[in-house]
Amino acid sequence: MYANPIAYVFSCIFVLIAHSAMLCNIWFNGKFDEPRDIAVLGAAVIILDIAYFVVILAFKQISYALDFLLILVLGMSIIFQSCFGKVGFDVKHYITCIVCLAACKGGYMLCRDHKLLQDKKPYIYGAIGVMVLITLVFTSAENMWIEIGSFTLQPSEFIKPLFVLACATSIADQQKKHKILIFNVVYENIALFCIMAVICLVQVKSHDYGSLPTFLSIYTVGFLLRICYPKAKFSKKKLFAVIAVLIVFVLIGLKYAPDYVQHRLHVDIWSDKTGDGYQQSQALIGIANGGWFGVGPGKGFLCHVFAFDNDIVFATISEEWGLMFALMMVLTIIIITAIPLVNPARSYFHGTMSACVCAAFIVQMALNIFGSCNLIPFTGVTIPFISTGGSSLMVSGLMIGMLMAGQSPVFKEHKQKKQEDSEPAWRWKE
Amino acid sequence: MKSIKRTQRITSLVILLFILGMAVLVFKLVHESSFYMMNSDKHELGFVYDRTGDVLFDGTGEGSYPDNYFLDVGNIIGDDSGQMNNTLVANNIEKLNNYSFSNGLIQDGGKAAIYTTLDHAANRAVYNAFGYQDGCVCAYNYKTGEMLVCASIPSLDVTKGYDNIGSFRPGTLLSKPMSGTVPGSTQKVSTVITALEIMGSSNLYAKSYNCSGKYINRTGDSIDCHNIYGHGTQNIQEAFENSCNPFFAQLIEDDEMPLDRIMKQYEKMGYVLNGGEPQFYEIDGIQCATASTTLEDKYQFKTQWGCIGQGDTLVSPMQLMMWESAIANESGKMTMPYFIDHVTDVKGHIRDKAKTRYSDKLFSESTASAAKQILLTNGADKYSYSIVGYNVGVKSGTAQVDEGAHENSLLVGFVDDPSFPIAFCILIENKDSGYLTTEQVAQVLLDNLKNNN
Amino acid sequence: MESLDLIFCAVAAAALDICIFVLIITAYREKRSTKKNWRQISNDMELAEQDKSYELGCDEVLIGRHASADIRLPDLSVSRYHAMLTVANGVWTIKDIGSKSGIFVNGELTREAVLHENDIIKLGNRRLLFRKRRDSRVR
Repeated sequence: MYANPIAYVFSCIFVLIAHSAMLCNIWFNGKFDEPRDIAVLGAAVIILDIAYFVVILAFKQISYALDFLLILVLGMSIIFQSCFGKVGFDVKHYITCIVCLAACKGGYMLCRDHKLLQDKKPYIYGAIGVMVLITLVFTSAENMWIEIGSFTLQPSEFIKPLFVLACATSIADQQKKHKILIFNVVYENIALFCIMAVICLVQVKSHDYGSLPTFLSIYTVGFLLRICYPKAKFSKKKLFAVIAVLIVFVLIGLKYAPDYVQHRLHVDIWSDKTGDGYQQSQALIGIANGGWFGVGPGKGFLCHVFAFDNDIVFATISEEWGLMFALMMVLTIIIITAIPLVNPARSYFHGTMSACVCAAFIVQMALNIFGSCNLIPFTGVTIPFISTGGSSLMVSGLMIGMLMAGQSPVFKEHKQKKQEDSEPAWRWKE
Repeated sequence: MKSIKRTQRITSLVILLFILGMAVLVFKLVHESSFYMMNSDKHELGFVYDRTGDVLFDGTGEGSYPDNYFLDVGNIIGDDSGQMNNTLVANNIEKLNNYSFSNGLIQDGGKAAIYTTLDHAANRAVYNAFGYQDGCVCAYNYKTGEMLVCASIPSLDVTKGYDNIGSFRPGTLLSKPMSGTVPGSTQKVSTVITALEIMGSSNLYAKSYNCSGKYINRTGDSIDCHNIYGHGTQNIQEAFENSCNPFFAQLIEDDEMPLDRIMKQYEKMGYVLNGGEPQFYEIDGIQCATASTTLEDKYQFKTQWGCIGQGDTLVSPMQLMMWESAIANESGKMTMPYFIDHVTDVKGHIRDKAKTRYSDKLFSESTASAAKQILLTNGADKYSYSIVGYNVGVKSGTAQVDEGAHENSLLVGFVDDPSFPIAFCILIENKDSGYLTTEQVAQVLLDNLKNNN
Repeated sequence: MESLDLIFCAVAAAALDICIFVLIITAYREKRSTKKNWRQISNDMELAEQDKSYELGCDEVLIGRHASADIRLPDLSVSRYHAMLTVANGVWTIKDIGSKSGIFVNGELTREAVLHENDIIKLGNRRLLFRKRRDSRVR
């Protein structure tokens, strides 16, 4: 960015304009008790923006587009969440957004150097094991969260970034084949498959079917990219066989799923408006009520429905700000995931990481939006940056940090235990 | 490099699939939004008008109208209270809501409305003609299908609410033309059509049977005539005009009327036979019963009575009226009735303009012409003094209900005038409780429709 | 919705649109600086043959006969997966990943070697020169 100060300044200005325009909209259309509420909210958002603009200068990055998009989305998210029901200021969400930004930078610092991560691979697998154990031991189907003081953490969320890292680090070792019995196998592939199976079982046990497709999508993308890795020999026949097996599994799963899952799959929300179909039918009514331009911030009725701020948040925003605004918010998140297309990573590790993160974000968003609008059965997943939820925001921040790392990678070989003389990169041959 | 490009392709594919899904979602939301609003408790309903612009239902609840203004249309137009499901408003409430996705819910000044084909003045006149007696009347234009009159007595004024619903007379919340009733001798129209279709008109006209007051059929049961002295030897026209039961019983037993063909013709006309699944016509969302009867053994009492007009036969007055259109049009195809002429949306734009539709062919044109002649001759011979000023083809009927405790009086027919093509069906329940006759009601009906034309 | 309220909502949406647009343009402009940075990391090297030059755009470049190879040499003397070029700390290394004919760097048969400027790599019958990237415009 030091090469593009103009671009930096322009981006800052436009992000501030976008947020200010939203605040103006609240002033004219919103439902508030006194102007002081808007002033507090506006000040908080603008201060956070400016603070972040200053902080990112401290990080020598090649590409800052993701940072600006991130602060844009988080600012929008704070404004949305603070306006549900009545214009106010949601302090908890604000603090979790700051944590998200910090996690983003943390993820960035951690994942820039892929040789380091390759070396630390055993730690990654170990960490996954630990998180799985914590999930199994401390949580159950009724209560998916661990409470620490006044904050709740959802351990199964933290498995996601670790899983992405595991998939990404497995790429490089594709050429190390070992012979077990008569098969040539790569240890990493087997390990990943086992982890995937374990995660599936854990999710099934804790009845959190929402996160299952996300994990599956990460695994699938990693799997496909392993096939695309030049050295991995994988015949088309094997690919079709795997797809067929998968389809069979899905069909069996759907047929023999436990009762409450079957119920969720086959509910007709309009005939069961007060029972199982309540949230979805209210969400759809809310969207219809809002129309293209919404009823005005704070004037919606969906804030009285359970989980209005994370599971059906798309409908709540659609009702208060309009379907147009909600679609643009979705567009912003899509652009965030599409930035690696503009500036592709220059290593397989970072490329895989970016692709897995994109898949995770998009699948999660699709599950939330399509589920709350009754295109697919309702699951309780969150939209990456918009829904409240400390763990969700922190993990999303980490994953964005990974994307940023993919944009500004380092390629360093690490010094081994004995110090070697680093020869100059080129020398004229005598 | 190449594999980085593959990474990009996978990401693009995922993003593209998602965008497709979002497009489908937005499309679905915009199209189904009025359905979602109907399921909420936020309604801003508009008006229902008759063909002249007179109000039949005020969804805003704010207008003031003379007392009992909506009494005659209460159980066919209905309201949004949910008490009556088989009414026009209950089944078309989405069209009345002043809502569209682009405009949101408009509180005042929304122009959503349903314009019906009913003639409120004629409907009210016919309703009042019944006085304290119960029954129903339905009449429509058999060329276009526009419903003109649909009155069912007793009825209710929807603006008065349902607080005293316990004291409503039985049948208040129903529109009687839509549900099956015992047809009485009007059933003989169907039997004549069946005979014409199976035998042909020349063959049928050649048939003659004797009536001596009663007829013992081949299984030993007695079919009684309403004239205890009998009508003597008659042909089909005379038997039709006399409404002679023994003639029809012998006609059914005739070898040239095989049972399977009778059953086939009845089914074509819309009868549900021998306890099958009831069938319905849908008239702008309102369910209308067709007809049902039992035809098992044509030599047997129940089957014969079923073809004559009692037994297990039930026909709705609307169905009786619709058959008349197939005869009057001489095409054998019923003109399907409709209530809604057009709908205006919240901005006042006209949508859903009605079109004339016909049913499948129920019987041939020659059958229709012959039946038309029989009915017209009956009208000219027997009803020219009671229904004055119109060239009508009619059939009357007396139906025994409540196991013989009461009798209903029916009249079904059409006007043979290209500029005044009306088909009608009139039912007076418990005819002995008063002095009203179906011919008087028909006169009031036709006079009012003609005046308002 | 009153028309004035509608205007404000539309204005907010438009501001958001413009902001996204500007950020996308920023991302495209950053492509240039990303490219510059990559050239710095990779010491701006390329592989050249008699009439062609191959760009080294990634930190792991596969050379071979296979269609999925980053540098494809359709010569029967070159194995499908012949060699892998990697970069770290600005230094390029070439490694043999199981070829039939082996790799010759400056005439010496090696399995793994650090590459220096103007080294000549021989794979099967093909010779590649490892040299600084030359802009096609500059003569």
